Amino acid sequence: MTHFDSICEKCEELIQPYLDRELSESERLEAEAHLEGCGYCSKRYRFEVSLRRYVRHACCSEEMSPELKAKLASLRTPLD
Amino acid sequence: MAEAETDARRLATEARDRVRFEEEVLELADQVYRVARRLVSSREEAEDLVQETYARAFRSWRSYTPGTNLRAWLMRILTNLNIDRGRREQRAPDMQPMVEGDYFLYNRLEETSGPADEERIVERLSQDSIVDALASVPHDFRDVIVLVDIGDFSYQEAAQILDVPIGTVMSRLHRGRRILKGELAGTAAAEEES
Repeated sequence: MTHFDSICEKCEELIQPYLDRELSESERLEAEAHLEGCGYCSKRYRFEVSLRRYVRHACCSEEMSPELKAKLASLRTPLD
Repeated sequence: MAEAETDARRLATEARDRVRFEEEVLELADQVYRVARRLVSSREEAEDLVQETYARAFRSWRSYTPGTNLRAWLMRILTNLNIDRGRREQRAPDMQPMVEGDYFLYNRLEETSGPADEERIVERLSQDSIVDALASVPHDFRDVIVLVDIGDFSYQEAAQILDVPIGTVMSRLHRGRRILKGELAGTAAAEEES
């Protein structure tokens, strides 16, 4: 059973900025040491990483149209 | 004569700088579009927003300081235009009771479709449901998620783009991601029922 029903306070505090690469060097080392020793957090970390990757993939799948690209280029100041 | 020559040289330098600026800005178009597309709800709106952004960027190129963060400069124009377009103010939903912390979504996915590896369980959500869930996050929170998670901006850059303190970026991001996960958990439950 991998159901999680407790909250690790350390995790609440560190995992988001850790995932966003926003921790200082010493905080990052602290987070990594904690992740290694805490089963709850390391599972959660893997889940969060995959969720973000998946959200990003789902939300970036639509490319801009060549027409729009051409329109943007046409907005440039004409050279005189 | 000498004065005319100096003038000509100045104009030539300026034209060259402008061309370089415009080329750099155009190279960022795909990234700008990806962010715009998730800030608004339709493709048409995103296309209009990107066009307005580029028209304004080209007009006000002198206000950009070379060597500074061009991507963030452009995104600031874009987010300001988006707010000026009179988007509807949305009230943030009340926080879900998060007794399970941020594992709420994981637990819900597991409940509705059985245990799975924590790296694969998200694949049970359809791409459309992710896009819809993000679109339903209120603007203030969504802006930050889109800038950080899709636009790859740092907290500091997002703070400058949106003109809010960095602490606000962090709290909106945290809360916004929770709202997003709550929406996805709702989707997972609804898909199970249907």
